[in-house]
Amino acid sequence: MYGRKVKLRLVFISLILVTLILSVYLIIKSLEENVVYFQSPTEIKALGEINNKKIRVGGMVKKNSILVESKDIKFVITDFKNEIIVIYSGAVPNLFSEGKGVVAEGFLNDRKLLLATKILAKHDENYMPPEVKEALEGK
Amino acid sequence: MNIKILPTILILFFCLIFLIFYKGLKNSNIYTPQSYLEIDVPVFVLKSFKKEDEINSKDIFKHDQFYLLNIWASWCVPCRAEHEFLMMLNNNKKIKIIGLNYKDKFDNAKNFIEEMGNPYFINLIDKNGTAAIDWGAYGVPESFLIYQNKVIKKYLGPLNDKSYFEIEEIIK
Amino acid sequence: MASLIGYYSLITGLLCSFLIIFFSLNNFNRSDILNKKIVYFTFLQFFLVVVSFFGLILSFVFSDFTNSTVFNHSHTTKPLFYKISGTWGNHEGSLLLWLLVLTLFIFLFLLESKRQPIKYRLLTLLFQQIIIVGFFVFIIKTSNPFSYIFPAPKEGLGLNPILQDPALAIHPPILYLGYVGSSIIFSSALAATTLNYVSKEWAKHVKQWVLVSWIFLTLGILLGSIWAYYELGWGGFWFWDPVENVSLMPWLALTTLLHCILVLEKRLILTSWAIILSIATFTLSMSGTFLVRSGILNSVHTFANDPERGLFILIFLFSLIFLSIFIFLFFHKNENKSKNSFFWFSKETAILINNWFMMYFLSVILIGTIYPIFLEVLSSEKISVGPPFYNKLILPFLIPFLLAMAIGPKLNWIKSDLKNKANLFLFLIISLLLSIFIIRNLSINFLVNTILVTSALYLFFLTLRDFLIMKIKNLSQNLSHFGFSLLILSILFNNIFSSEIITNLKIGESFQSKQFTINFKSVDQKNERNFKAIIGKFEIENNDGTVEVLKPELRIYNQPNIVTSEADIKTNLIRDIFITMNLVQNQEYFNIRYQIKPFMIWIWFSVLIISFGGLISIFKRKHEH
Repeated sequence: MYGRKVKLRLVFISLILVTLILSVYLIIKSLEENVVYFQSPTEIKALGEINNKKIRVGGMVKKNSILVESKDIKFVITDFKNEIIVIYSGAVPNLFSEGKGVVAEGFLNDRKLLLATKILAKHDENYMPPEVKEALEGK
Repeated sequence: MNIKILPTILILFFCLIFLIFYKGLKNSNIYTPQSYLEIDVPVFVLKSFKKEDEINSKDIFKHDQFYLLNIWASWCVPCRAEHEFLMMLNNNKKIKIIGLNYKDKFDNAKNFIEEMGNPYFINLIDKNGTAAIDWGAYGVPESFLIYQNKVIKKYLGPLNDKSYFEIEEIIK
Repeated sequence: MASLIGYYSLITGLLCSFLIIFFSLNNFNRSDILNKKIVYFTFLQFFLVVVSFFGLILSFVFSDFTNSTVFNHSHTTKPLFYKISGTWGNHEGSLLLWLLVLTLFIFLFLLESKRQPIKYRLLTLLFQQIIIVGFFVFIIKTSNPFSYIFPAPKEGLGLNPILQDPALAIHPPILYLGYVGSSIIFSSALAATTLNYVSKEWAKHVKQWVLVSWIFLTLGILLGSIWAYYELGWGGFWFWDPVENVSLMPWLALTTLLHCILVLEKRLILTSWAIILSIATFTLSMSGTFLVRSGILNSVHTFANDPERGLFILIFLFSLIFLSIFIFLFFHKNENKSKNSFFWFSKETAILINNWFMMYFLSVILIGTIYPIFLEVLSSEKISVGPPFYNKLILPFLIPFLLAMAIGPKLNWIKSDLKNKANLFLFLIISLLLSIFIIRNLSINFLVNTILVTSALYLFFLTLRDFLIMKIKNLSQNLSHFGFSLLILSILFNNIFSSEIITNLKIGESFQSKQFTINFKSVDQKNERNFKAIIGKFEIENNDGTVEVLKPELRIYNQPNIVTSEADIKTNLIRDIFITMNLVQNQEYFNIRYQIKPFMIWIWFSVLIISFGGLISIFKRKHEH
């Protein structure tokens, strides 16, 4: 028979193991649910099916494409190969302007239209977010 | 036994993390804007600031010396920041700076140069931005270091002191 | 000139390190008295770094553009205050600041550890010198703040306008005091392990350093958060951005360590745990630096992208990690197993449970932060992990965490029975009823929110009660826990009751909602030395007849030429109203964001209370001596 101490230790260790496994499982599961993938307009065009998961689209704001109305803002993101129209109602960052890099987060309506919930711009003198640069370089 | 397994696992684990971070670091190299494209410069015909007649790019890059093609615009904010470096580069006789004025109003561009100084040997007008696309430009500003009709270095974004010294080093 | 002096004193400072190491090794086996030279040289090193730092400050103040750091980050039209704060608002300068604090702290450590065994002091000094040498080499080799430009440019490139802000000017120094304070804990823990000196005396001694760095880290995070709140114009105070996460992770480790040290001081258990946490705290601070500085993280606000620097920190970081693993495995002895026993229902258990919870929070944040990096390396898929991930994994576990926090301090060491059971139960019922009353009519998840608010209220009432009946055994602990409950409550209510309007308006237009009308009255212009401002004038008519005038700004900075939105915020005890405007590329519409954020000021205030608790603890200890 095991002594009381050893038994207690066993219980303790198994308790830790169970908690560990449980928390790792929890973390991985919610990671799967909550990550946002980054894609370029070209990648979106090649997309097989459209699910309603949140994605990020990066590229340049096309020249003369910004149209501001009282409810929302429409513009076009381009990677110089393909384009996608973005409709957004929300606050825009300061660095958002035509000919500049942009990342829009939201849901795809179809391959040509993104309903954005958030627009991001990097807060530094870099004129292009690295994700965008990569997307544009065709990486 | 127990004592030997644990350290091994621990050390292997951290080695793995190190490796992944190390690879991640290599990946982030993509962010630094350098592609070494040994390709011929695109051929284009454009108007310049000074003369009304059009200039063929073959006539510009024909001499045996370094050229820096700089895509700029008066509306472009980082261009102002890099202008200083262009002015400094212009002091070097070994390099000629060719401006490609991208989608700009002529008057604004002229004012910009009067205000900030003119480092450009020739300034070409790319009113609708088609020439810039031929160059594979992503935006403004962007600079291409050219030697013997080949693009040897490409700088995305404004030039800074690092790229300035690099250029000075290359053309030495 | 100032740059030159700065550079040479930096080099001399590095030489000092070798002298200190030499003398310490000499002193180590020979004498029972600390060689005076060691203290002198440690001071000299600190002094040299101060000189070097002032050299950089002076270069900034006099706009010496032959210095490339000044050139890249300053401008003659910048106000003096931001010229000075610009010194550490960039990569090179901030590293010099790190070094400054590193040398300051080891000097202070030598001064205040006179009662400690000499070998322990010397060994701590040696470990700290390893870190210091690493930073010296890092600065001199890869990020020299004094590199020279010729010919000298006439004008600098300017400091990023969003960094031109009072909160952000003092945020880095405070945060570094916290980060670097953890380096002393790291060195001292390694020294204590090597000498087998992990004891109650050691715990007592290192506790002060834990408290000091904990307070600074808390305040540093607070300042960063305040800055993000009004400068980034998003109206939030925490975005789960990787850069924020890397400052929160050391904080969690440090908080856990603080509790662990308390147990160690009283009972001499959990020794290995304390050592591991000491190592983890500093390692996490360093990894934070690595992740932020190397550009490996894809954050909304990363510092500078330079893989070469990243590689150096990475190698340095992992050398330290392997060094500490080695020391821990070969020197640490898990002695006194017999003393290890304690009853499951005791203060130790409560603290241990919360330690585990904090470790869980830490791992969630760690995984959320580095998972994108791992995934990109392994599958070149680019992802980002958003707030829902953290909220989902952290919020539910706050409930038992808060409850344990409420009950734990009421328990005794070793073995305990609950006194005043009726009393405790009564408070639980009151909290439950109160939160049901608050949550009942809202269209949010009833169960989770009610239980969350209940547990936070419960902690709030219990700590408040201790203040009121003046039965406070441990004022500092009670104060910090009270602050924490207040923090959680304010955050919860802030989330639950926030409302936000985002709309596009032309001048003269108004926006009508059920509770209020926003009238866009006019815009004004103002010219300052380093920026032009467009000032909007908005009138908010509430339905109860009150009118508020808000004037958000749009600033166009001249160097570098960047547009920023300055939010206008009206604060009172119950809520903040927050408005930003933005102009979208020559369109006549302004993009307006109007937010009502309840209890904002209490979030800041409660964090102050938390750190104030730590402060009291330090002074209490000084008093006891």
